[in-house]
Amino acid sequence: MSEEFNDNKTIQAQSSESISGGGSGAANDIDYVRPAEVGEQDLYHGHSFISKWVFCQDAKVIGVQYFLLATFTGIIGLILSWLMRLQLGFPELAGFMTAEHYYQFVTMHGMIMVVYFLTALFLGGFGNFLIPLMVGARDMVFPYLNMVSFWMFFIAVGVLLASFFVPGGPTGSGWTLYPPQAILEGTPGSGWGIMLMCISLILFVAGFTMGGLNYLITVLQARTRGMTLMRMPLTVWGIFTATVLAMLAFPALLVGALMMSLDNLLGTSFFMPTILKAGEVLEYGGGSPILFQHLFWFFGHPEVYIVALPAFGIVSDLISVHSRKNIFGYRMMVWAIVGIGALSFFVWAHHMYVSGMNPWFGFFFATTTLIIAVPTAMKVYNWILTLWRGNIRLNTVMLWCLGFIVTFVNGGITGIFLGNVTVDVPLSDTYFVIAHFHMVMGIAPLMVIMGAVYHWFPLVAGRMLDEGLGKWHFWITFLGAYSIYFPMHYLGFIGVPRRYFEMYDSPYMTSAVGMNEFISIAAFIVGAAQFILFYNIIKTLKVGKPSGHNPWKACSLEWLTPSVPPEHGNWGDKLPIVHRWAYDYSVPGAKEDFITQITPPSEVANTEVEKT
Amino acid sequence: MSSLIKKLFGTLAEKPWEENQALIDNKHTGKTFEISNQMSAVIIIFGFSTAIFSLVFTAYLYSIPPEQDTTFILKNKLLWINTLVLIFVTYFFNKISKDLKNNFTNKIKNNVIAVGAFSYLFLFLQVILWYQLMTEGHFVTTNSYFSSYYVFTTLHGIHLLGGLFFWGKISSRIFKLKEKEYVKESNNLHALSIYWLFLFIVWLVFFSIMFIYNDSVIAWCKELIS
Repeated sequence: MSEEFNDNKTIQAQSSESISGGGSGAANDIDYVRPAEVGEQDLYHGHSFISKWVFCQDAKVIGVQYFLLATFTGIIGLILSWLMRLQLGFPELAGFMTAEHYYQFVTMHGMIMVVYFLTALFLGGFGNFLIPLMVGARDMVFPYLNMVSFWMFFIAVGVLLASFFVPGGPTGSGWTLYPPQAILEGTPGSGWGIMLMCISLILFVAGFTMGGLNYLITVLQARTRGMTLMRMPLTVWGIFTATVLAMLAFPALLVGALMMSLDNLLGTSFFMPTILKAGEVLEYGGGSPILFQHLFWFFGHPEVYIVALPAFGIVSDLISVHSRKNIFGYRMMVWAIVGIGALSFFVWAHHMYVSGMNPWFGFFFATTTLIIAVPTAMKVYNWILTLWRGNIRLNTVMLWCLGFIVTFVNGGITGIFLGNVTVDVPLSDTYFVIAHFHMVMGIAPLMVIMGAVYHWFPLVAGRMLDEGLGKWHFWITFLGAYSIYFPMHYLGFIGVPRRYFEMYDSPYMTSAVGMNEFISIAAFIVGAAQFILFYNIIKTLKVGKPSGHNPWKACSLEWLTPSVPPEHGNWGDKLPIVHRWAYDYSVPGAKEDFITQITPPSEVANTEVEKT
Repeated sequence: MSSLIKKLFGTLAEKPWEENQALIDNKHTGKTFEISNQMSAVIIIFGFSTAIFSLVFTAYLYSIPPEQDTTFILKNKLLWINTLVLIFVTYFFNKISKDLKNNFTNKIKNNVIAVGAFSYLFLFLQVILWYQLMTEGHFVTTNSYFSSYYVFTTLHGIHLLGGLFFWGKISSRIFKLKEKEYVKESNNLHALSIYWLFLFIVWLVFFSIMFIYNDSVIAWCKELIS
């Protein structure tokens, strides 16, 4: 190793203006990396409990805060789903529940799970915790704004939950909030409930914009030396692209929520046509409910990918680490993420085939929907080919990953059914749709979240979660989820409609009673099984095995901090210098079966890195 | 733009696992684009806000009542005075940017004050315009033409107020600095100047749409969408 290399290795992370040297002589060294262009960041270090753990500017703490609040909100969503299943499976035990309650639970469950749980957890939770660590930054570029982003989310959740305690209760218009129903008397929560929902969504979008700004600029402008975009782990690519999507799709939700609030509060008619109520013409007129549907689904469909893309990225990394192989087709995986992101803005009206829109639109959106299956299938093939002949560790993390692949393929295939107009029309508003989207954007991303929790928990807490409990957690969830959603496909085929409080007396409904009872029991068990994870976390925090540095022997930067868990600022005195991508596993000629991103080429000179 | 596209596709074509590519990648020094973080933030906000305003415009086009004269608001003189005030703001910001580039610092402070003063004047005149419309009986609930106008101007005003918040922070720092040190704030001032230009363009686009879209174009759009 040359003297020059040693000199370069100790260059501190300063701006290039303040560093001299590193000239042409150094350029011949295989380990040479140019001085940093990104200047050192001034960080605000909290000194009190409040500034360290409550109003904290450290992205990792903010990530954990997002994670905890999103999980709390998700538990409320879970409890609401239990109540719905109680009514559907055992209505005689749910005497306390009126039809209004049921519709409110359906609405709040949907909105909570999609926006306040999955989106917040993937982007706010994993985004904050992982982005700075994985790109080699000390923190997000605007830490204060990042903190405000979380507290906006906190207020948004508060406002949403407050709607349970206002006159009329929360809105019961379905998570799609379609007007005119959402704001007309007769729909539960048509006064305060829908207003609080709209205000909460506006606050959520405003808060997310502040966070999203941070994620994008940190990824684009604050990476460490040697970390090119194409050396980033796919997790970062997934979160980055999902954030771009969110920045372009959330405005539609914001505009829709704002205009509906005005329709409700001031009496404007953006979405309200002329309406006759009990023989009396209301003051509304001239608006279009279909306009709201377009706005909602212009947000709603990219939202599916806002959840799915980070999941794709994370699962790619988990599969690579735990099968000890480089991810198959890295470039293709990046292209697929970017391609899916772009295409996701051209498929929204496949949610509106029965809305009465122009049939040519149906043709167009069915075509784009099928096209988006191509990059998605590419990803599935690449995950399988990564596993192919890999040195697979069949641990809890890998089980969740395998569960994800199977579930995602299942949900994806039923999506091809629903993407075609002629098949969708009879299946529209049936339990087939419920089964499809719960598989593809409920259970599948949840499996990635669980895999990610088991994988990165040692980085957060410095201790390993219990594997035995993890496997119990996985198998109950996996088998239970299929017990819930497989029968639902059948219910949809026989025409059982969604969003019905009770099924009335009819021959085909009676035949579904037994199946509804079975589904409900499975739902209670799967929900309860999630508390195994909480028990595991509490147990691990008390008596868990210390993880040490890099327990999974991973290549990516987040495991290479001087201390585990990483301190504020992540990297001690010197920022890391990246020499390779994040997937050099099982490289022929290497001493170990992984070469970290910061290992200089001179230390692995005899390996065949490029042939892996 | 072409260099951006080239950069994007060039980046996606890289093979990071190859030895030759590694030698190129090792030269990477941290940034993707040679712009400040503040400018990056403004550009991202452009994207977000453009989406918001585009959707408001779409809603406007979707629901204009057939009997409404779409150039009604354009006939109000105060609107054009307001537009002139926005032009002044953009002009002064442009001057600040140029002065910073050329290191002429003696007028920056006055121009920063002018920007704030004209921006507040714009907001004040906008409220007067609202008052005028309301006294004439054109409320937010009158029809979707006026609803869209009020929503658009409110969102535009909120964007302007957001800009003025940062203007306040930056100008308070400038007042504390010596003339030669203004350059310390150049990243912030450039970013803010671009932001104001964006708000001016949005303003012009909305009123251009009001002017251009007549009944036949509206009917064609409705037929296409419905």
